[in-house]
Amino acid sequence: MLGWIPRGLRAGRVTTRYPRSAETPPAGYRGRVVLADGARGEDWLPGVCPTGAIAVDHERRLTLDRGRCILCGACVDAAPERFAFESRFETAARSRSALIAGGEGTPGAEPLRPALGERAHSLRRSVHVRHIDCGSDGAEEWEIQALWNPYYDIQRLGFFLTAAPRHADILLVTGAVTSAMRLPLVRTWEVMPEPKALVAVGTDACSGGLSAAGTLTAGGVDEVLAVDVYVPGSPPAPIAIMHGLLLATGVLTAEAVLA
Amino acid sequence: MSAAANAGAAGVVAPSLAERLGATAEDGPAGELRLRVGAGEFNAAARDLRDARARFVTIFEADTPEPALVGVFALGGELVVLRAPGGSADGTIGRWWPAARWAEQELVERGGGDGPPGGFARCLTKPDADLLDRRVEGLDVFVIPYGPVRSGVFEAIQFQIETGGEDVPRIQTRPFFKHRGMEARFAGLEPRAAVHVAERVAGVASAAYASAFCQAVERAVGVAAPPRAERWRAVYAELERVACHLDVIAKEAETTALYVGQARFGILKEQVMRLRAALTGSRFGRGVITPGGVLADGALAPDELLAALDRLERELRRDRRLFLGTASMTDRLIGAGRLERALVEDHSAVGPLARGSGLSTDARHERPYGDYRRLGLRVFTRREGDAMARVNVRFDELSESLRILRQSIDHLRAPDAGLAVELPAKASGAAFGWAEAPQGELVIWVEIRSGLVHRVHIASPSLRNWALFHHAFPADVLTDFAFIEHSFGLSVAGADR
Repeated sequence: MLGWIPRGLRAGRVTTRYPRSAETPPAGYRGRVVLADGARGEDWLPGVCPTGAIAVDHERRLTLDRGRCILCGACVDAAPERFAFESRFETAARSRSALIAGGEGTPGAEPLRPALGERAHSLRRSVHVRHIDCGSDGAEEWEIQALWNPYYDIQRLGFFLTAAPRHADILLVTGAVTSAMRLPLVRTWEVMPEPKALVAVGTDACSGGLSAAGTLTAGGVDEVLAVDVYVPGSPPAPIAIMHGLLLATGVLTAEAVLA
Repeated sequence: MSAAANAGAAGVVAPSLAERLGATAEDGPAGELRLRVGAGEFNAAARDLRDARARFVTIFEADTPEPALVGVFALGGELVVLRAPGGSADGTIGRWWPAARWAEQELVERGGGDGPPGGFARCLTKPDADLLDRRVEGLDVFVIPYGPVRSGVFEAIQFQIETGGEDVPRIQTRPFFKHRGMEARFAGLEPRAAVHVAERVAGVASAAYASAFCQAVERAVGVAAPPRAERWRAVYAELERVACHLDVIAKEAETTALYVGQARFGILKEQVMRLRAALTGSRFGRGVITPGGVLADGALAPDELLAALDRLERELRRDRRLFLGTASMTDRLIGAGRLERALVEDHSAVGPLARGSGLSTDARHERPYGDYRRLGLRVFTRREGDAMARVNVRFDELSESLRILRQSIDHLRAPDAGLAVELPAKASGAAFGWAEAPQGELVIWVEIRSGLVHRVHIASPSLRNWALFHHAFPADVLTDFAFIEHSFGLSVAGADR
């Protein structure tokens, strides 16, 4: 039993300093897809994407909905002059339309409501988080659990996991919301006290992702409840989820890390 | 590999078994023994297979070459595929073969109406969080509906725990809260797009699902992935096993409040996740395996990869010694959730769960596929059948996986050409593919018509093993629940699909 103490100490500090300093993913990490400057669309491009994230309008403007993107790389392979992977962790946004890249002047890129910290100042630094799985593939759960491992240690930022929805300030939802999980989701949200925020984790939760087609899922959390922060990714990395949580509390207001 | 050449290899066993079952042998790819029986003889043939000590894999309705009821069984290094054209499941096999119960009920319910089908007490595939299966009567006896909203960050599944406060006389496991219809999602996709669906059936086992799916496609259209692609697939699959096993061990440490242990194994698991991100661009190794091969070489040089694995193994060896020497930990696991070998056999359980009860079953060994035909594999088993045995099996497999990884990576130094072969255009065919996922044997049936995926059936290891969960509390109390659940180490998404 005593052996664990030197074992733990010898490892030294492995914890990230995010968001005080940036966390860089390895080269080639598939964080999100970016559009090349001035890329124009062609009619065949939307058909390349298995989740319908690519759209081309009548003026050949090309848009990419990151809330639908599962980072499969089909578009990057098919049209490398227009699409490229960007090696970055921060992908979260406070509105659904802010996830749409390209096009001009996306309307309605306003957050649903003020961040938690603006609604109750004490919720900037001490927040209780509850998770509910509504039909994920199981990978999102791993990445959320990882937030409490020594590498990310999200408790240092004041995020605590709670089992009781009545104690929770933030609800993390994964999955496209299957029919059997719809009611449990609504009930969990309803018993949470105000002020509260809902964070959709993963592309399935943002838009339904690959499981969108068909009648078995709602096709995203916002088909059932209003969402404060969207964290796309299939699955999003722990830093991406941390970034989303910090957006929800208002500790971070934009994509940038703290100076 | 042509189907005709392979049929010859299977021909030795085929006539005798076919004769015994009263079936006609049909041509099939290597490793599949396809037998045709009349619709009325299906159940009798299944019973004969059980008597021949076959392991039940799955039952489903196929559409190629014609609509048929298909039963799949593992027997003597082959998949025995029992096909009854025009047949339909009647829901009676599960009465005498517990292994078939859930797969059969799922099939009957999918074809039927709203209520539970005849002969079944309740619906399996349409769970209702508010519905208790049984009311219990008696002094201080009650039911705890645990889930589908779990405490902590876990997947959605419900357990109805009947208890008097300490002992647990009975548990009902209720899956399918997460049913997303993933099998139907494959239909109409090109195989190279469909592999993204396969990767997302059970996200923690993406490489296993992608490999099994791609193998099925390759066997269906009659191509073989080049050796270099098979090596990379084995590398991704073994890294996945390491991550999954470390996850189980970290969760066991957390449950015993051994927080330094949890942190240590969490660190090791995170290192594997980062290694995969550096290698493939995805922390789950997604987007590299494709029908016909792999899309690219891993982004790390063999030496870098080997150095990272050496560091990992050095750390793991020390943490393992500490973990197994911590009495507060082992005391909780030894004797908890004991599963008798006969019970495990009856339920045709697979993976570390079966191996922890003395059953030597591993798809990599029984029907070697891909690079495992060239890699020597040792299958580790334990006889005790308790949670400790299942953890010990995982520790042994961690070392074995690291050994296999070194071997595969060493082979990757040779600069052989060819990462993928083209699939023939507009090809048609149907075949099984399989892999040993970290949770156990995974079998996927794929039908291809004119170059597009027509139908897919997935026999996930998790569904088969969850069916055994309620048996794992013979002498255990409520507080053992978490240890036993983690020692199963299953995926809910994989079971529900």
